[in-house]
Amino acid sequence: MHIKDLFSSLFTYTPDDKQTYNFNLIEDPNTKAYTDSNLGKEGNDKTKIFPSLTVNLDYLKSKYNLLINSDIIFREFVLNARGKQYNALLIFIDGMINTEIMNEFILEPLMMRNKNNLYEGSQNRVISEAVANNITVRKVKKFNLPNFISSCLIPQNAIKQVSTFEDSISGINSGNCALFVDTLNLAFDIEVKGFQQRGIEKPSNEIVIKGPHEAFVENIRTNTSLIRRFVNNENLVIENLSVGNITKTKCGVCYISGLANEDLIAEVKFRMNNLDVDSLLSAGQLEQLISDSSNLNIPQLISSERPDKAASYLLDGRVIILVNGSPYALITPGILSDFLSSPDDKNQKTLFSDFTKIIRLIAAFITLLLPGLYVAITSFHHEILPTELLFSILASRANVPFPIIFELLVLEISFELIREAGLRVPSPIGPTIGIVGALVMGQAAVSAGIVSPILIIIVAITATASFAIPDYAFGFHLRVYRFVFIFLGYLCGFLGIALGFFVYMIAMCDSKSFGVPYTIGISPLEHVKGTSYYLPPIWKREYRPGFLNSRKETKQGHISMKWKNR
Amino acid sequence: MENSKISAAEAISIVFGIFVTYTLVALPKSMLESTKTATLINIIYVGIIALFITFLIYKLLIKFPGDDIVDIAEYLGGKPLKVFIGIIFIFYFLFSSSILLRNFCECLKIVYYPMTSLIFIILAFLIAICVTLHHRFSSIAKVNLLIIPLVVISIIFLFIANIENFSFDNIFPIFGDGLFNTFITGLGNLGAFGGITLLYFLPPYLKEPQKMKKVYLTSVILGTIYIILCVSIILFMFVSLMYTNQIMPLYSAARHIEFGNFFQRLESIFLLIWILQMVCYLCIISKISMSTFKKITNIRDEKPMIFVFALLIFAISLLPKNYAISKFIEDYIYHYMVIIVSIFLGVFLLILAYLKKRKKKELNTNHEQSI
Repeated sequence: MHIKDLFSSLFTYTPDDKQTYNFNLIEDPNTKAYTDSNLGKEGNDKTKIFPSLTVNLDYLKSKYNLLINSDIIFREFVLNARGKQYNALLIFIDGMINTEIMNEFILEPLMMRNKNNLYEGSQNRVISEAVANNITVRKVKKFNLPNFISSCLIPQNAIKQVSTFEDSISGINSGNCALFVDTLNLAFDIEVKGFQQRGIEKPSNEIVIKGPHEAFVENIRTNTSLIRRFVNNENLVIENLSVGNITKTKCGVCYISGLANEDLIAEVKFRMNNLDVDSLLSAGQLEQLISDSSNLNIPQLISSERPDKAASYLLDGRVIILVNGSPYALITPGILSDFLSSPDDKNQKTLFSDFTKIIRLIAAFITLLLPGLYVAITSFHHEILPTELLFSILASRANVPFPIIFELLVLEISFELIREAGLRVPSPIGPTIGIVGALVMGQAAVSAGIVSPILIIIVAITATASFAIPDYAFGFHLRVYRFVFIFLGYLCGFLGIALGFFVYMIAMCDSKSFGVPYTIGISPLEHVKGTSYYLPPIWKREYRPGFLNSRKETKQGHISMKWKNR
Repeated sequence: MENSKISAAEAISIVFGIFVTYTLVALPKSMLESTKTATLINIIYVGIIALFITFLIYKLLIKFPGDDIVDIAEYLGGKPLKVFIGIIFIFYFLFSSSILLRNFCECLKIVYYPMTSLIFIILAFLIAICVTLHHRFSSIAKVNLLIIPLVVISIIFLFIANIENFSFDNIFPIFGDGLFNTFITGLGNLGAFGGITLLYFLPPYLKEPQKMKKVYLTSVILGTIYIILCVSIILFMFVSLMYTNQIMPLYSAARHIEFGNFFQRLESIFLLIWILQMVCYLCIISKISMSTFKKITNIRDEKPMIFVFALLIFAISLLPKNYAISKFIEDYIYHYMVIIVSIFLGVFLLILAYLKKRKKKELNTNHEQSI
């Protein structure tokens, strides 16, 4: 051994290969480390609650992995009722309940030995008495502990008796507490929710000028209350469904009974009840799960964060779906013209709203086709450009070494990068990214001769147009398909664009949303009541959309402004 | 079939679309060549005859509600006749559309893609057809209904924008080469009404069969007006020596449009719209051919046949050795095919089927009376 090695072995640490920390989740992807878990599949296992509290306790402890779970609280205590004492158990999740309510309105009334609890009168109360042949027949009411607890002991507005573990666990998971009492084969699901949540704020993605400035939040009950405040009618039905084998996410199917088409309601519920997924965490996921298939990946359900928009569609006879934990409502069915409409359209005079609708339609065409048309014209159809403009384009491209397609793709992808980066960075830096990206980089790229100034204008117009699309998902769809048209324009000019556009239109006309043709109101050009893309004057908006086949055809009288006739 | 039902407006646009497509390439020119300056009078004349034939077809088809010509052939002569008629019409559709596609692509090649092989231009159309044929017939009809107004607007615009270039003296002599040539030889221009063939296949697709008469007559009247408009543009713009040399006369007319210094050459925009119409026509014809094939062969699903039909169109379109041959086929053979297949064969078959039905009815009545 060299002295150097001896020195290093004495004073330096060399990890042994065998002891090197080397974690691999799966050595061989084809071998399964575990057998399939039963997690999420026990939904149908409706185990009945046992009369023995000890058995219930053990069962729930194993269910909740109490030995390793830190936030599940099992509170055992002695319940006083009619002078008798029962062992009882409260289960709740720390952080999801309101501790004040729990202490003052549940534990205190149940544990305190007050007059009511200590009353030792006869447990059998005589309801009626009859004497016949000197024999007295008394009809007595037996003491019913569950009813006594729910009606006399717990001063809570929402209390439910459940008989299965599944129901009680579902309540606990959603922020309620479950009360188990010895000798009772049922539990009490008591509403004590008190978790922190976001307050109602201004809509961030659907900004309007004249409309209300309230947006949905993550809590489904807050959202339903927002809708109720707008609809203000007892016929508004909000049905609860749960989706997700593990998460059992609460979803609300909202419709106005007597107005919405029964078949549409049934179809929505049918699709939602037939989802075999472990989890549902957002409205966006549900949208993909219940949408009709479409080759174009167009959005077929309207997604809105505005309760006024949701209420407006509800009053048309559509069905709204709310997902707990998601600040967006899904509106079914959605047709093409809905994605180019803004909630503000109905708040403005017809002339202005129709003008903005035309602008949006032009914006959609520009977003989809302008870069492709530019490539096609500059590559194949120069003659369409006036000579002066052609010269200026040629002059601006004189210093650019790249072909037009490369130049355009560089700019378009750069713009998408800036947009994506602007979304991901913290909000105070967002505008800076836009300025640095768009202005500084664009100017630098032109100066460096990488891109031509005319192309900057084309990309800027396209980007601005894409921001004018009211629906984010539809705007995204157009942005993606823009690249297809760029390639088609580059490959064979107007021929490619015409063929591509034809296929695009066919696929769009072929799409359906909950049984409604996607392009209804635009093509077929038949008169379907209430489906026009352009808004008629407010006094002429008599009909609900004909494609919904609502149970009430009209939404206002033939002469709505009766004051004019007086 | 329920998903393939189309509205009256869509049906009108489909039939009208067939008239429109043939005018895009060389139809107005071939009509002008045969009847010269009397073409306008000739179109009105053959238009009235076409209208009469359409009415006759309607009257005969109404006796067989919901049936197309293949079903009626089966009624008349059993399965063999059904297969025979089906094959004839499929051949007619494929042949006419392939030749039209070839000529249109030849024109595109000359105008815009001189360095590109013709095969690639035809393939571009066929790829689009293969993709769209996977969708429902009603969707194609809906898109056709969106495109037709664009085409009509483009032609009206072409007419208005070129008014300053018109020389109305071109109409003289008003009877061209004489009355015989205008009214007897000129009957060959009935070939311009190829859209009539589609009328035999429309009944099963109609959502509202009660509007059949309206659909049939309106589409032929609109088609006649449209052809008059197209022929007028060429007749008034070019003297006879010039239009005989044009590849696409309407395209040549579009090249003359000028608005100040800025809009000087708008013809490629017209071509963009006409390409849309051409591909739409090909889709409709292929879809009808495929459903006829499905009917005569009793296959369960027609979708696997999409590529076969696309390949057939591709192969037939490449059959003519050069543009001159394919132009000849379109100008002459196609016209006679229209007259023979759609007018004589179709009407003859319908009359025979009607007579059979009437005879059967009479026999039944006599039988009931004797009982």
